[in-house]
Amino acid sequence: MDNPLFIGVIFVPLLCAALGLLIGRYRTLQHLLIFGGGVIAWLCSLLLLAANFESGVQIYRLGGWPPPYGIVFVADKLSAVFAAMATTVVMAGLLYTLGCKDKCVTYPAFMPLFATMGVGLSGALYTGDIFTLFVFIELMVVSSTALVAVSDNRLGLEAAIKYLFISAMGSLFLLLAIGSIYTTFGTLTIADIARKLATGERPLLAQAAAVMLTCAFLLKSAVFPFHFWQPDFHTTAPTPVHAVLSSVVVKVGVYGLMRMVTTLFIAEAPVIQNLLVVLGVIGIFFGSLGALRTYDAKRMLAYSTFGQIGFILVAIGWGTPLALVGALVYAVNHSFIKSALLMLTGVVSSRTYGKTATKREIGGVGKGMVLTSILYLLGGMALAGIPPLNGFISKVALIQGGIEAQGWLALGLAVAAGLITLQYMIGTWSLLFQQPPDEGVKAKPYGDAQYAPLFLISLCVIFGIYAAPLIDVATRTVADLGDPTVYIRAVFGG
Amino acid sequence: MSVLFAIATGIMFGMGIYQLLRRDLIKAAFGFYILFTAINLFLLAAGAFEGTVPAYVDEQGRVVGGTSSDPLVQALILTAIVISFGTYTLLLSFIVLASRRFRTVDSDEIDDLIR
Repeated sequence: MDNPLFIGVIFVPLLCAALGLLIGRYRTLQHLLIFGGGVIAWLCSLLLLAANFESGVQIYRLGGWPPPYGIVFVADKLSAVFAAMATTVVMAGLLYTLGCKDKCVTYPAFMPLFATMGVGLSGALYTGDIFTLFVFIELMVVSSTALVAVSDNRLGLEAAIKYLFISAMGSLFLLLAIGSIYTTFGTLTIADIARKLATGERPLLAQAAAVMLTCAFLLKSAVFPFHFWQPDFHTTAPTPVHAVLSSVVVKVGVYGLMRMVTTLFIAEAPVIQNLLVVLGVIGIFFGSLGALRTYDAKRMLAYSTFGQIGFILVAIGWGTPLALVGALVYAVNHSFIKSALLMLTGVVSSRTYGKTATKREIGGVGKGMVLTSILYLLGGMALAGIPPLNGFISKVALIQGGIEAQGWLALGLAVAAGLITLQYMIGTWSLLFQQPPDEGVKAKPYGDAQYAPLFLISLCVIFGIYAAPLIDVATRTVADLGDPTVYIRAVFGG
Repeated sequence: MSVLFAIATGIMFGMGIYQLLRRDLIKAAFGFYILFTAINLFLLAAGAFEGTVPAYVDEQGRVVGGTSSDPLVQALILTAIVISFGTYTLLLSFIVLASRRFRTVDSDEIDDLIR
């Protein structure tokens, strides 16, 4: 019954990171070893997703202990979809790192930290135990903070301190919520908590735990009242790290919220969902307008993430099956589009002498980079939701969900914000690739390799033209989410 | 006894939040550690006095050794201490680097310097 593929997703990259630290002196060997680990994790997560659709929920009991007592990894359809998305982007990030010319990439601890960040990410998505969730989230936070602190951008250190303080507060409240849940129900296994919550027992402490969990997840995905750290922290990160942070690391919070409203706190879900619609709309507006008026091409994409997470939260807030399909499709597509766009911006900014992406210095640097220009235009169109790219599919799925849920106000605002996206993406594209460079701005002849963005943009095009599998996967996932007993029965093997 | 624990946790929470909001980054880092200890105390209180039946029982399903306290929360606290210690060390090392780079640990002054 235990599926050994979990070892490939979680323990193999961790082992590669540990070995990589030992052979830090041989940089090429280390990079290839850790990239190999990332590829294995990616393949295993895809196989887990496939196994899920063939034979239902996959679990792995650590040490063979049965669920309420031991730690269990669970890949139901929701976890498997999110983890497949996360490992794809992490693998692409590792691929980008292989061809990256930044100085920080040459540090012996860079690649191992990147790998542990990916492990924290997939572990947090797969775990069926809330304390292990806390441990994996901390692993992810600590590795990503260290990666940003060593960034070539000198402001990285300040942003890392800020993020570590805020994120540590979030983790504290996550721990407090875990303690409250354990005091109330005497268990840490998510399936067991869901089973006990479903009996209708509602002590006050459990409701407090729901509030704290919601806040912790909102903080992890940088939603409105907790978003102030995000643009600084993401902008100063090295390019491959930025691509992972801004696309999949923020999705951990989204996953947590989806898990909360569909598996754990179903009775409290309407309250949480109303909150998510309001916060999501605020996020869409702040994010889109912030992206419009920013001075830095990377910072623009960081603000844009803030807006796009808003779209996903609004869809979760509507909460109808169609809207949840929209949220899931949107989350997957946004990860690929955003990471690809960030890598392309990184490719261009690696050719400036200051290695920055401020619009003053980067303008016109991309003139003559035909492939990058085409890929960036495709990515920008996907982000704005223009057919035949995958962004169009996710917008359609979202709008269908909104019409079904009759959330007219939020829907109108979302469509209006989509137009703003088009405005800033096209503006930046012509700034980077069309207009002649400013006086005194010179481009280097060589920059970062662009295999990773090429891979991600081709995924975007494939999912735009041939979207049926993704929609099918999302529909079946949401069908499973409608019945929380699927998850509970799978974990307890009954 | 649990009242004493509640009072102690409350006081430490207050201290931690107050320290965390200081401008001095080192004092704020202390505040973070105090808060983490407060939460560990809360976890300990959860297991020590009103814990549910412990995981360790004999073959007949009886609790071994009468009303023993819950061992799981102690394992949780141990893990949480290790994690908080790691995070705290990383935070302090960042502050050392920042103090070398900016010649100050006052968050407002650093904010002015990077603009």
